[in-house]
Amino acid sequence: MKLTTTLEDVQSAASRCLRDARCTYGSWPENHVLCPIYWREPSFTFSGGGYLFLILALQDNKIDFDQSTADFAFSCSGCIACESNCHLIPAHAPHAGIFDIIRRLRYEAVKRGFVPGGAAKKIYDEVKKTGDYGQASSLNLPEKISSDKADTVIFSECAHTTSQKDISEATVNLLEKIGSPVSAFSENGCCGSTLYDFGFWEELEPLVNANWVKMKPLGNKKIVFISPHCQEFVVKRYPEILPDYSPLNNQHISQLLVDAFKNGKLKSKREGKVKVSYHDPCYLGRGLGIYDAPRQVLASLGGVELVEMTRNRENSFCCGARTLGNYINNLSEDTGKERIKEFEATGADLLITACPYCKEVFRKLLPAGEQEHVKDLVELVNERT
Amino acid sequence: MVTKTRTENEIICKELREAIGAEKVKDDEITLVTYGRVRHGFDIMWPFRKPSLVVFPESREDVVETLKIANKHKFPVTSVGAAPIMLGTTEGGIILDQRRRDRILEINTDSGYAVIEPGVSFDKLTSALRGTGFKCAVGTMPGPGTVLGQALGRGSQSFSTRYLSTILDLEVVLPSGTVFSTGSSHFEGVGSHLRYGPYPDLAGLYTCGYGAMGVVTKAAIRIHPVNEASRVHLAGFDNYADAIDYVKDLINHNIPEHTFIWDWHMYLTWPLALEDMEKVMPWILESDFRKPPEGIPYDLVSTLLSGYPEQVKVYEEICAKVAKKYHGRVISDEEAEKRFPATLAGFRQLYGEYSYRESVHWSHGRFAGWYVFAEPKDMKEIEKFAANEFAKFGKAINPVNYYSHPFDYGRSILLRIAGFMEPEDIELRKKIAAKFEEMYNIALKKYRAVPIRPIGSDKALDPNNILNRDSGLFEEGEL
Repeated sequence: MKLTTTLEDVQSAASRCLRDARCTYGSWPENHVLCPIYWREPSFTFSGGGYLFLILALQDNKIDFDQSTADFAFSCSGCIACESNCHLIPAHAPHAGIFDIIRRLRYEAVKRGFVPGGAAKKIYDEVKKTGDYGQASSLNLPEKISSDKADTVIFSECAHTTSQKDISEATVNLLEKIGSPVSAFSENGCCGSTLYDFGFWEELEPLVNANWVKMKPLGNKKIVFISPHCQEFVVKRYPEILPDYSPLNNQHISQLLVDAFKNGKLKSKREGKVKVSYHDPCYLGRGLGIYDAPRQVLASLGGVELVEMTRNRENSFCCGARTLGNYINNLSEDTGKERIKEFEATGADLLITACPYCKEVFRKLLPAGEQEHVKDLVELVNERT
Repeated sequence: MVTKTRTENEIICKELREAIGAEKVKDDEITLVTYGRVRHGFDIMWPFRKPSLVVFPESREDVVETLKIANKHKFPVTSVGAAPIMLGTTEGGIILDQRRRDRILEINTDSGYAVIEPGVSFDKLTSALRGTGFKCAVGTMPGPGTVLGQALGRGSQSFSTRYLSTILDLEVVLPSGTVFSTGSSHFEGVGSHLRYGPYPDLAGLYTCGYGAMGVVTKAAIRIHPVNEASRVHLAGFDNYADAIDYVKDLINHNIPEHTFIWDWHMYLTWPLALEDMEKVMPWILESDFRKPPEGIPYDLVSTLLSGYPEQVKVYEEICAKVAKKYHGRVISDEEAEKRFPATLAGFRQLYGEYSYRESVHWSHGRFAGWYVFAEPKDMKEIEKFAANEFAKFGKAINPVNYYSHPFDYGRSILLRIAGFMEPEDIELRKKIAAKFEEMYNIALKKYRAVPIRPIGSDKALDPNNILNRDSGLFEEGEL
């Protein structure tokens, strides 16, 4: 969806909603409820369709923008389960997914000065003050592998979470073990994914343009992403925003690790047995369609047994990290707790994920002594190679 | 129309929250407008209406309490299983959304019925029936729709040959709060296997009653055995009348489990994925629906044959013989695979998996449909009449959703012709609506066709007319 797409543009697509809540649950025959807000409050209002109907009502002046509109708009977790399951809305011009349209609604709320309190307000204030959000983290690549001429470029993301530090360190260690030449690309500020998701679009274009100026010269080099949010945004949204975008040769770190195990550059150590469950992050799975690579990596680790949660792969349930609205109390926390409950039901020892936001939220929700049960994939691989 | 003041709304809201719990009664503006009738592709011409409250009962007792309070205040209640496409919202009333009541309470494979709550969807029931040796009636759709919503509205079920009405037994709450069962479960400890017999067919009162005579809180519905062998047989016909004769002949000889007549516009587009829709639909919308291209039958009849393998084999031979008798021809799987593979795949899914997965709805919300019931010989004339009338609309509404199927062992035939027009063209919509009305009148007077119009009165059961007023069953209703 182009940034210039307006609420009027999405009205026609929104008007196709059949009101049947098909956007809220996964594939037949399991039919698992996947939409966190609908899971918590089953109601048409709290489905993708509810958001679309709110837009229709706003367009028709049947309701006004106010603080509750913003709280409602930001209460969607952005897990894009709706986009995987409703094929109707994107089928019609402007061919936007339901969450694309919700992002647009957020932008309209923000434009009118309505932002939910808490984390969203903090982000908003920082964006307004600095024109950016977060700060680029630096990957200290060891000299023996660091080369500006390397064909592989690690995309160094800005540190929005404390989890990112450990993930970055584990990544650098792994790259060193692999030993192939690599260079690091430091973002020029946020890649834009957070600003895009939360409707802070006024500041988005300059950031995207600034990053693209630095990225474009990379040509056909392979860009490896650690955060699925950045990868999904750069690969899928930059083309919609940048007129001179050219396709990027891109890979997620899990895919790089699969290759490293295959060609023998990375070897599993003999370690004790451990049962793990893998949480598919929304943007790595539903967003980028990468389901197999993390599982192949886990299969490459000696002594690691994967136990799937009930909701997995395209039917994964969100961690709730990006639910910033306050329309429903404790929605973010309850969503994460629900996922942890599902993990605990597997009997696994470790909850593995591949997204810094998921790791952050799961650790936060677990008691102090149990936080080590949550790891990013790269951290586990680093420990066991 | 009874319009309540803000204070009265607040009183009713307070009473409801005390009776069933605050979390089940919503009155926030966002909930109200999203449950309202807004300017939407399917109901673009209808006036905006907004309820005062949306109630989410979690038990039968919640429904009872809600109705008692609403009835006391003569406050309108619109009951839904899950929000349907066209929600008949009454301005200022209560929407009673039973989606949270979605348990499958019993699957009885001895008698062949399932007891369900109103929020159970086809996706949920078809999934639960896997491995039981039973299935829902073929023709059930769409997956997210509630079983009860369709059964009570009759929906797209065809009741051809082996199927009867889906409903066996209903638990109903009257506006007074009285609860009763319509069938054999009325007697304590007795299962729901008998719809009527030594007592009147009370479930009939609620079939197509659109919730206007009581709120259904539980239902026993018929499920059907999956036979050892089943096969979809296809036959093509160059005209509708021959297709009707073929279907009638098969039904009269107890051959099909289910049968359906598809106009060529529909069978070429109905099961397509988006990318195929984008290729096919522009061509379809430009073409004259009365003149299919060479080799494409005007009508395709899909017939589900089931039973023992030997039985199905004989049925196939009979279908071929009967098709020939009525100037039709068998469409082999090879031919179907070559000429309309997506259609064949759609049939296999519908008939083979007994499930319906959502295909891309090309209607864009711009749906204009005309549909009637008539006896078979009358329907042959009606189809000619309706096709000619639709042709006069030209490309403004080129019919795409065009099909027919038998009811009650072929005693009655349903014909539905629908086209898609520009959704924002209100004037065109008005013209079409007026034309449809004229066509209904002609079809009724000249061809004895039953139009889709409300007829009854529910005054005895709902004296204050609080229930689903927009269904139009009440003689003083708005429609």
